[in-house]
Order: sequence, then C-alpha cells, then structure tokens
Amino acid sequence: MSSDPYSTRVRQLFASTPHAGAIDDGIIVRVEDQGVRVELSAKVDRDRVIALKFRAWGCPHLIAAAEAFCTGFERQQVAHLKSFAAAGLMQTLAVPVEKTGRILVLEDAVRSLGAAVRKP
Amino acid sequence: MSTDIIYLDYAATTPVDPRVADIMSAHLTASGNYANPSAIHIAGRSASDAVDRATRQLSALLNCKADELVWTSGATESNNLAIAGAARYRESRGKHLITMPTEHKAVCDVFRALEKQGFDVTWLQPKENGRLRIGDFEAALRDDTQLVSIMSINNETGVLQNIDAIGALCRERDVLFHVDAAQGIGKLPFDLGNLPVDLVSMTAHKLYGPKGIGALYIADRPGCHVEPLLYGGGQQRRIRPGTLPVHLIAAFGLAADIAVASMNNDLLYLQALNERLWAGLSAVSGITRNGSAEHAFPGILNVSIDDIEGESLLLALEPLCVATGSACNSHNKDPSYVLRALGRSDELAQSAIRFSFGRETTEKDIDFAVQGYHAAVAHLRKIAPGRAA
Repeated sequence: MSSDPYSTRVRQLFASTPHAGAIDDGIIVRVEDQGVRVELSAKVDRDRVIALKFRAWGCPHLIAAAEAFCTGFERQQVAHLKSFAAAGLMQTLAVPVEKTGRILVLEDAVRSLGAAVRKP
Repeated sequence: MSTDIIYLDYAATTPVDPRVADIMSAHLTASGNYANPSAIHIAGRSASDAVDRATRQLSALLNCKADELVWTSGATESNNLAIAGAARYRESRGKHLITMPTEHKAVCDVFRALEKQGFDVTWLQPKENGRLRIGDFEAALRDDTQLVSIMSINNETGVLQNIDAIGALCRERDVLFHVDAAQGIGKLPFDLGNLPVDLVSMTAHKLYGPKGIGALYIADRPGCHVEPLLYGGGQQRRIRPGTLPVHLIAAFGLAADIAVASMNNDLLYLQALNERLWAGLSAVSGITRNGSAEHAFPGILNVSIDDIEGESLLLALEPLCVATGSACNSHNKDPSYVLRALGRSDELAQSAIRFSFGRETTEKDIDFAVQGYHAAVAHLRKIAPGRAA
C-alpha cells in the first residue's frame, strides 16, 4: 500500500489547472462550507455548457476534483448540472473518506450552477 | 530515498552523520561491542566500557556528571519519565504543576494524563511571539508547586524560552524544573554546570545520531529524583531498566562529541541560512513569521501566509521536504495548536510551513526553497477565489 496520500491523477490535475480562473461574462456561483471555498463559472450556449472555469481554496483533492469536473463537463448538457453527483469523481481520484464533505461542497456548487443557468 | 528531494525538515529528524553510522554498525557485529553491558565477562565489560565512554562524551557536551544521565529510547520517553516520574516522586509534597500549551505533545499529553490522576496543572499562555512572560510564571508559582516543564527551543517555531530566569525562580521556591531540550542539545550551548535546571530530556536523532536513543539528565541534588515508569531489572540505578543498546549509545556519544567540536560553526552557518531564507521569503505578500525573530534558534523558520491552504501548499512545494504544523503530528490536519496559542487564526495556522535546516543544507537548497515557495504561492493564488464580502 502506498504511503502517498495522492494518486497520480490527483497530482496531475493539481499541478496543471488550465480551468483555473473565472469567465468574466459567465454565470458564477460560489459555495463556502466545510472550511473550503469553491467558485464555478460557466458559459452556456442553448442547452450546452461550452466553457467552465473554477476557483477553489482547499486541499489538493478538492482542487483536482474541480479541475476534473471542468475538464469532463464542458460540452455536456446543462440539464445534467443539477443532477451532478461527486461520487464518481471521488472514486476516480481515490479521495479519502474523511474528505468526502469537502468534495460534496463541489457537488453543491455544481448543482447551484445548474440552478443558476436555468433561471430565465 | 529519492536524490531529487530538498530536505528542510531537520527539526523532525536529522540524517545520521556518517561517522556516527560507522561507529553504530561497528558495535553490532561479532568484531564489535555487541555483548550485554550488564554481563561481567570480558565481552560484557568491553560493552560496558563503550557505554561509559559515550556517557562521558554526552556529559562533556552538557557539563554534567556522568551519573546524572539515564539512557532512554528518546525524548518522548525522557519527557514521560521526567514529568510523570518527578510528579509522582514529589506527590506527597504537593500536586501543582506548571507548563505551557505550546510544549511538544510528548509533554502536554503527560500533563493531561496527570490531570486525570488528580494533579493540578497550570497552563501558561505565551505572548504573541511565543515567549513566556516571566511575571506570569512567577505569579503562577504556589506553595504546593512541585514541577515546572518548559522547553528550551520550540519544535515548531524555534522560539527560545528564558530558561535561566525560569530556573532561577524554581530554585528560589525549591520547585523542580524540567526542560525538554530535544531541539536544543548540541545545537546551542547548554551548560548544566551553570543552568538552574533539574531534569533535561534529549534525543540523538535531532543531533545527527540515530533514532531510538535518548537520555534524561537528573541533577544530583536533594529532592531531585523520579519514580521509574518501567520495572524489570536493576539497570541504570533502577530508574530505567532494560538491556542497554550499546550501538545506539555509542552513536549518541559520538554525535555529542562531534557537536562539541562543531557547535559554534554550525550556529553561524545556520544563522546565515536563516537570514538568506527569510530575505527570500519575506518578499512574498501576506507572509508572516511565526514566533520571535529575536529569541529564536536559527535552524528553524516558521511562516504563515494569507489565503493559502496548508495541505495544498505542502504538495505544491514538492520536492521540498518541509513540515506543516508539527512534523510529529503531520497526520493530524487540525491547525497547529502551537500557532493557535500564539494567536494565529485557524487559516493562518493551517498555512504554516516550518523550514528547518542543518549541516548538510546548502545555500542552493535555500534558494530552491525560496523559488519553490514563490511559485507555489503564485499557483495557489491563481486558483483561489476571493473572500466573500
């Protein structure tokens, strides 16, 4: 068993964060809980998310999860934002169970984004 | 271990000096002093001579008598033996004890255990710079105070306490004074012939010696004694029984001997490295030095930074090997209790990085650390959102 608390994937996502930042004319949501902060911004074209950015203050797993979400969710349907579940990301990134609460802050932010996007 | 790392965690442990490693391994094999030093045969006497030699070497470093030293497994055991042992020995005279919440866990947890056993412990808060107010200390002393424990160098911040002044007040009141000097022995002058201290905990592995060996100084003066924690043999005047690990003791002795010769140069070198590191780090906006800069051991520099998360900072600093919070407590992600006691917020305490360096550290290592810190902070600030209004 490795003593490294971070998987190779977490290390890659943490070190290189092309989605870090904000889309100035995008839809922005912020969630702060569990001692971490997540901000997501999105640009939407009809029913598709065409660009995503994030900002996060928290542990490497949270930053990696936010980057992974942005990478994976671009060009997906807006409708899927509101039903986003972080469980898959947690499994892929081997997030330790004690950090579940922090990753759920990201889940909350994504769902909030879904709600904000759908507002007329 | 990877050769690509930059090791700046000397306060957690030092590499073993090659000369020390040589003497240690030489005592393990058939051609060395591997015998049980309690045995009365020739091999046993030879091993006993090796122990005596090491005891003299350590006592020379400390300017104490050889029979004032007891070998232990390390500073944690020494702290337990000193504090619990002295408290129980003096229990019939009184049950009041004094310490600080910024002590190492190996001290704090012994006091907490004693509290549960009915002892009354006063926890003196430090000033913002980590130092103890001598007036607070004097006011805390009571007629039934029996033991005081204050460390010489704080393991997280490097802050030095005024051991002379605290010890002088203890002597006036006939109170035993224990000093956890795990970070100090062999690094700063510690002259037990002149310092008013009664019990001193130390360990070899912060002094370029091996892990698993420490010592406790017990002053040869009336009223200064400890009840043993372990039973099982008559070794070491029944204070700490168990077969003596000759190879580790010989190694600690040589490490002490080397420290005698190199301490002054080491100190000057560490001071220069400290100044170089702080000159580089202080250019980062929002950085704070934790603890007194004036009264500090130069081998440790602890900094916090605004709006940076500590665990992410530590990862972003790789391959730098530094500590966040207390190195001995790195699996606990709670903010450093030492820095909290100095008045730092949870976030600022959680962002703390302790740089600690030693003989093998180079100026190039320090420059790499400075560059790495600047880059890590820039990376994380780019990622971090602003605070809510």
